[in-house]
Amino acid sequence: MSAPKTIPKDAQVMIQILKDMGITEYEPRVINQMLEFTYRYVTTIIEDAKIYATHAKKSSVDADDIKLAIQCRMDQSFTSPPPRDFLLEVARQKNQTPLPLIKPYTGPRLPPDRYCLTAPNYRLKSIQKKVTSSAGRITVPRLNVGSVSSRPGTPTLGTPSVQSVTSKAGTPVSLTGQRFTVQIPPPSQTVTTKTITPSTPAVSNVLINPSLIGSKNILITTNMVSQNSGGAGDSLKRKHEDDDDYDAL
Amino acid sequence: MAAVQGGLADTNEEKDIKTEPSSDGFGNNNANDGRVLSTSPGSSASDQQTLLAVLQFLRKNKLTESVEILRREAGLPEDSPELKGSDSSGAGSGGAAGSGDKEGGDASSLLSRTSSVTAAGEDQPDVNVVLSAYNQQGDPPLYQVYYSGLKKFIESVLDCHRAELSQLFYPLFVHMYLELVYNNHESEAKAFFEKFSGDQECYYEDDLRVLSSLSKREHMRGNETLMDFRTSKFVLRISRDSYQLLKRHLQERQNNQIWNIIQEHLYIDIFDGMPRSKGQIDAMSGSLAGEGKREANKAKVYYGLLKEPEIELPLDDEDEEAENEEGKPKKKKPKKDSMGSKSKKQDPNAPSQTRIPLPELKDSDKLDKIMYMKEATKRIRLGPDNLPSICFYSFLNAYQGLTAVDFTDDSSLIAGGFADSTVRVWSVTPKKLRKVKSAADLNLIDKESDDVLERIMDEKTASESKILYGHSGPVYGISFSPDRNYLLSSSEDGTVRLWSLQTFTCLVGYKGHNYPVWDTHFSPHGYYFVSGGHDRVARLWATDHYQPLRMFSGHLADVTCTRFHPNSNYVATGSSDRTIRLWDVLNGNCVRIFTGHKGPIHALAFSPNGKFLASGATDGRVLLWDIGHGLMIGELKGHTDTIYSLRFSRDGEILASGSMDNTVRLWDAMKAFDDLETDDFTAATGHVHLQDNSQELLLGTYMSKSTPVIHLHFTRRNLLLATGAYNP
Repeated sequence: MSAPKTIPKDAQVMIQILKDMGITEYEPRVINQMLEFTYRYVTTIIEDAKIYATHAKKSSVDADDIKLAIQCRMDQSFTSPPPRDFLLEVARQKNQTPLPLIKPYTGPRLPPDRYCLTAPNYRLKSIQKKVTSSAGRITVPRLNVGSVSSRPGTPTLGTPSVQSVTSKAGTPVSLTGQRFTVQIPPPSQTVTTKTITPSTPAVSNVLINPSLIGSKNILITTNMVSQNSGGAGDSLKRKHEDDDDYDAL
Repeated sequence: MAAVQGGLADTNEEKDIKTEPSSDGFGNNNANDGRVLSTSPGSSASDQQTLLAVLQFLRKNKLTESVEILRREAGLPEDSPELKGSDSSGAGSGGAAGSGDKEGGDASSLLSRTSSVTAAGEDQPDVNVVLSAYNQQGDPPLYQVYYSGLKKFIESVLDCHRAELSQLFYPLFVHMYLELVYNNHESEAKAFFEKFSGDQECYYEDDLRVLSSLSKREHMRGNETLMDFRTSKFVLRISRDSYQLLKRHLQERQNNQIWNIIQEHLYIDIFDGMPRSKGQIDAMSGSLAGEGKREANKAKVYYGLLKEPEIELPLDDEDEEAENEEGKPKKKKPKKDSMGSKSKKQDPNAPSQTRIPLPELKDSDKLDKIMYMKEATKRIRLGPDNLPSICFYSFLNAYQGLTAVDFTDDSSLIAGGFADSTVRVWSVTPKKLRKVKSAADLNLIDKESDDVLERIMDEKTASESKILYGHSGPVYGISFSPDRNYLLSSSEDGTVRLWSLQTFTCLVGYKGHNYPVWDTHFSPHGYYFVSGGHDRVARLWATDHYQPLRMFSGHLADVTCTRFHPNSNYVATGSSDRTIRLWDVLNGNCVRIFTGHKGPIHALAFSPNGKFLASGATDGRVLLWDIGHGLMIGELKGHTDTIYSLRFSRDGEILASGSMDNTVRLWDAMKAFDDLETDDFTAATGHVHLQDNSQELLLGTYMSKSTPVIHLHFTRRNLLLATGAYNP
């Protein structure tokens, strides 16, 4: 299709309107945007007017319907700021109260927590509890992981199947690192020992002191959010009841 | 009914109640409306209003028998019916609605819109409102005659009076035009506009263009600025002689419609003395509300600075000795700025320390102050022969999305607000931006070590810049807190967000403006901040209150620029109605109104000593104001496009201005303010004698490579930093 040599009539009208309103410099896309807006607005109004006309059991749409449609839309989308007398009145009331005194030494001065955006914006999914560990068997405790799998390399956890982990004594504290990632190696892989450092997102094996496991369920958190209960170390100690607080979404 | 008629006539001897030829037959004289209304609901609503108004009037004057008679004959119920239903557009058909009906109409639309505001039980229209509805001011075709008559008169007076009386043209023109439009005389309105709009002053061109697009009453409904213009009084300052001339002329004519309009819509501030010249008038006029009344600028303003607190300096420091007296640090090197005031007496112009509650200084603040004092000793003294160096930070690839910039006071961080609703923070120094470690990591660190404050920072995610997401609209205003812990940003989505610079997350969203917020500014002492937006109010907030503490309302159009005074007791707001207002934080009153700009104001700057204010607008002029006296003291011409940034140097000797015309200009502020110390300054009449010395005051013009200058900042050592987005 060859490029049109002349601009369509609507666009010409829009250009004229822009000129009349004193707008001389604008990008060419502005005309398209204005035309789109006009089309959408007019269509909405006419559709609304049609609804009102049928509601009033009229056969055709007339000026009153259009007026009503415009008015309703104005109150809905194109609201304007409150009028001056209202503002003056509100201001007068507000300005009468004296400025509140400032309490000393209160740390960061923020509104009550309800009005802040500092709360965590996630919830933890509850896990299926299926951890059995018989007393003597150290080598194969089952770990259930509460999140969806993804391949190693990302901080999320591996498959929810049971895996084996080895234990290495003396480093339970390392599990409290954030960005705790556990790669659950496939069962055939022999467990190797690698230490994990708290902040590596890389995959590594978990060394869990078997004495900590007990018969509790273990929730390994997968979120990157820092406020979350650190790593498996804490979670190992955490009882399952805690998890019930957070319903699965 | 006779009593009613007489009563009406007595109180309104000047109001000419003419019958409107195009009215619907009821006429404007409501005294005849004793008969029961049996007409269509549309017109009866307005008549009901008038009847109720009459009823109220009678009650007020204790004419109880007439009240009974009227009520019986008009068939009105005991309680006045709700008038909220009478839509202004319905009632506006034809003649009954007049200039005053707008208030009735506005009241009803106000009530229907904001149901939470109970209009104090006043559901009957006020008598005056409705009575003035009959103040039709005559036939529409005659408006042109009235206006031409006035024009001829003013052209015939003496030269010295002509300039002053010409101030009348613009407000009269606008009010007459609006009245014609409001009463649905569209064709007459258009003819009136065409004939006389060319005569107005050139600086009203933008307003006239807006007016030309309004030809129907419905167009006016959404335009709050115009509604405010109609309800507020346009202030004119005219000398007594000129005023007498005008009054005499108008009152001797038969049809003194113009006199009525003047009385209703204009406020004439009469002064005794010489009439002003055209130049003087032009300097002060241009705003949407006329000029400021003289009494508006008479309140006492405490423009002095607060006393600096006593700080103990470390004794082992070589440069400073410990303070031994309050506010008087002894230094080996001479101090260049008055960081500690040399006199022990309270400055009479300074507010007391406890006038408004301010947060006390924490240890980190005291350390900051010590750093500040050290830097101050190394500050370069600027002057006309010692200009500052300018370092320009260009934002590349911003695609014209850069909408706001701010620097921290020690110039270590830059924040930019963008049209894609992000806020980005950069580190200017080689030191990278670090955020605090997560809670889990924090458990691991040794809390007893000396450098615990370093250890809590996360080195792994340190980077040159951080991006803050959260807003849902372009970010129009940015402000760092003085202690560098917080960053504020205001956006088109109506919220102001507080971000923490320790964790680079959003802490609070302050909702109050429901319309775009154009600017925000932290107080120099922290804790308070001010924001101004499209809803024509500026709000004062404190970081720990989720609702504003003060509302500064009074502007007729959007508040585009907000700044705190160095002593945190006053807030200056510049607006699209081309005025600047100074507000008192303590009680929210407007203490100064400065008019004179011919375009919306985009830049404000207080001088470091707190006495002066500089403002820049789209007309390309920088105006200087004396806050104490409330007068314009200087005008700096030179820029050719909107001025978006103004900044005084640290000691107030140089004023830098940056503009859309891609230049930074330096002006000699010392010289501009020096002239004031003489006594010729006639504060009584408020006349300004502006010298045209812009050229002498201009110290230098520096062009950038097609980069409009958005923000200016003087470092603590008086190096000028400028920023803008490269715009090829």
